[in-house]
Amino acid sequence: MTKVSDAHVSGGQPTSVDGFEIARNPWSWLMRGGPFIALSVLVLYLAFASPRFLGFGNLMNVLRQVAINAILAVGQTVVILSAGIDLSVGAILALSASVGAVAMAYWEWNVWLSMLVALLVGVICGMVNGIVIAKGRIPDFIATIGMMSAARGLALIVTDGLPVPSHLTALTLRAGLPSELIWLGSGVVLGVPVPAIVAALMVVFGWFILRYTSFGRALYAVGGNREAARVSGISVERTKILVYTFSGLMAGIAGLVLTGRLNSANALMAEGAELQSIAAVVIGGTNLFGGEGGVGGTIIGVLIMGVLNNGLNLMNVSAFWQRVIMGAIIVGVVVFDQWRRRRFGD
Amino acid sequence: MGRILLKMEGIVKRYPGVVALKGVNFELKQGEVHALLGENGAGKSTLMKIVSGTVLPDDGKIYLDNRQVSIDSPRRAQTLGIGTVHQELSLVPSLSIAENIFLGRLPRHKSGLVDWQQIGERAGDILESLGLHGVNPWWPVHRLRIAEQQLVEIARVLTWDPKILVLDEPTSALSDREVRRLFDIIQRLNARGVGIIYVSHRLAEVRQIAHRVTVLRDGRCVTTTRMEQIHDTDLVRLMVGRDVRSRFPQEKPPAKTSQPLLQVEGLTAPSGVKDVHLRVGRGEVVGLFGLIGAGRTELARAIFGLDPIEKGRVFVDGQPVIIRSPHDAIRAGIGFVTEDRRQGLVYPLSVAQNVTLASLRQLSPWGILRKVEEFAVADEFVQRLHVHPPALNRPVRFFSGGNQQKVILAKWLCTGARILILDEPTRGIDVGAKTEVYHIVRQLTSEGKGILLISSDPSEVLGVSDRIAVMYRGRILSEVPAEQATEEILMSHASGLEVPA
Repeated sequence: MTKVSDAHVSGGQPTSVDGFEIARNPWSWLMRGGPFIALSVLVLYLAFASPRFLGFGNLMNVLRQVAINAILAVGQTVVILSAGIDLSVGAILALSASVGAVAMAYWEWNVWLSMLVALLVGVICGMVNGIVIAKGRIPDFIATIGMMSAARGLALIVTDGLPVPSHLTALTLRAGLPSELIWLGSGVVLGVPVPAIVAALMVVFGWFILRYTSFGRALYAVGGNREAARVSGISVERTKILVYTFSGLMAGIAGLVLTGRLNSANALMAEGAELQSIAAVVIGGTNLFGGEGGVGGTIIGVLIMGVLNNGLNLMNVSAFWQRVIMGAIIVGVVVFDQWRRRRFGD
Repeated sequence: MGRILLKMEGIVKRYPGVVALKGVNFELKQGEVHALLGENGAGKSTLMKIVSGTVLPDDGKIYLDNRQVSIDSPRRAQTLGIGTVHQELSLVPSLSIAENIFLGRLPRHKSGLVDWQQIGERAGDILESLGLHGVNPWWPVHRLRIAEQQLVEIARVLTWDPKILVLDEPTSALSDREVRRLFDIIQRLNARGVGIIYVSHRLAEVRQIAHRVTVLRDGRCVTTTRMEQIHDTDLVRLMVGRDVRSRFPQEKPPAKTSQPLLQVEGLTAPSGVKDVHLRVGRGEVVGLFGLIGAGRTELARAIFGLDPIEKGRVFVDGQPVIIRSPHDAIRAGIGFVTEDRRQGLVYPLSVAQNVTLASLRQLSPWGILRKVEEFAVADEFVQRLHVHPPALNRPVRFFSGGNQQKVILAKWLCTGARILILDEPTRGIDVGAKTEVYHIVRQLTSEGKGILLISSDPSEVLGVSDRIAVMYRGRILSEVPAEQATEEILMSHASGLEVPA
């Protein structure tokens, strides 16, 4: 420019002008969030209410229990950020797990090959979701609800409707599930459950993708303003397909971990997991209409649900009442968060 | 043509920062068509919103049949017998035509249940009378073409049996044949004593249908006269009638038009672009003038790969390019600032992230974003265009309209675009920001970029362009060098008058 008006430019450090540090530091985004406040209150309450709650063993137990939901919720976060929704993650989890377990137990494939095939099943299912949504131009909700049914059906076909390995076959066949897989679901490294480590890796993976890849940026753009993304040369179709493929991969990984933990796979495992993961994402403050949020919030959401579950068990609350309380808390946290944002801005 | 139906005296409407109406007088007689003319922003829409009860005047009196009234809601307007057909359609696309026509006033049986039979029959009759033969009243509205939807909108208003009918740009989506049919309907309504206020840009049509005309300019009524007593050229002069060139950069570097940067040949698109030929030279600003619905935005979208093309070729730097998507256009070196800022920005994302949005590929080898480089590049353009405050991490939704527009410009400069299509780049931003945008445009051309400036504001087109193309109904009707053009010439060409052979 010919005349640069210096007054404009010398406004100081950009970030200090208005305190938007979201992109700089993930911790500040956790701290700012209402979900984090809710989790802190919950933990404090339980620490007083139940002496066992803060014990190392119990805390590791919580981590083990939330691992599956955490992995699924990383995928779900990516989907919801792009203004989609994936109702098929539970079904894809079951199908991948079933295929993997059948390959290991009955076909006696190499354990690594079987795991790879299981992940591939998840990836393909997710990709099909994405292609149907992008090319078929149908709502995400419909496409994934279709996949939810179809994948469960395929899982039933693959397993013949029986657990794998079933009690019958486990006795007659030499094979159970290989120890590597069991380790994935039940192992411990330095006192920390392996599923929690896997989940943590996936959270970091998701966080990296959202923050450091052009795909991550593109999916925020597609979710935040589809038309603007298109005008900026971003392929909405390609982004959608990749997003659902990623979610499918997460479902596949969660399937392997869960199979290892249960020492068995079946076609009906992880029923309702899709809604759990959606709840975690929403509690974590990600905008259900896309474009705003991230895995940082999601992991808080996952922990709120896990801690609550654990705490209610420790306090001997009946399983029936647990559901009622869980429902109320999910809604309550989101209401609180909305109120906080209106009241204090964000 | 008899008694006075509607009389408005000294109507004043203030908005924050502007006075939209500065004491306007207007009257409408029984059985006449009274045209309301004026440039964009002259106050036509505000005046009609007051008539239809969606906006309350700050001052002035309104008389209906010599009785002073206050039109404080659309419902009140309806009970007073005032029907308005707005330019933007207000139909519910998923409901049937019949339901839309009677929306909010569904006839009922004595039992309180909806009388569907009566609805169907009456809707069918109205559609028939509007010449929509073979249209089933139970079809959902989205099955109809836009022009037909506009007729349904008119049908809805007619069921109120209004004494006064306001038509705001009713022909913007209609074909010539449909316009003729609409005029038939207007004449029949006139014969029944209905008074019609006809708001339009299109002088040629106004000439055909109106008995009287009122011209608004800058919120004042400059004339009211019988149509046959005024010549078209006088009307155009009255509509324009001011000199505002001082807002624009004075120094115009001589355009180096020897080598066209962008060349469009015979472009035809289903969205309503017909056989367009256009050249934009290096360092040249080509103004694309026309009225709403002339096809300017459609042309821009077709060039940029947002809408499909039927036929035609595009050359950049003399090389033919095939553009099927915005990505292709960006690669060819074209940038597009859309008419609607909402199509240009991702509001939750930060300024920096918006600036680099169209350059992600360059900034992320192997798909991994180079954050430091991204920040530096964004910072450079934000400073160059004086985005204020220069807060790169702040979500773009917190910025003013003018600064948002600069962020969009920065986005395209960041891609290294050599050709920029600017669609109404100064719409809805304040005067200071407008002037800044004009200076940026001049700055860019001095760097050898080519600019296609779409605008409905003739003074803007004249002030900034080197050459001006005027579009009317999907075609470029004329091309004028800026120094030979006047607002009168532009307006009359854009209104479909005095078309050069």
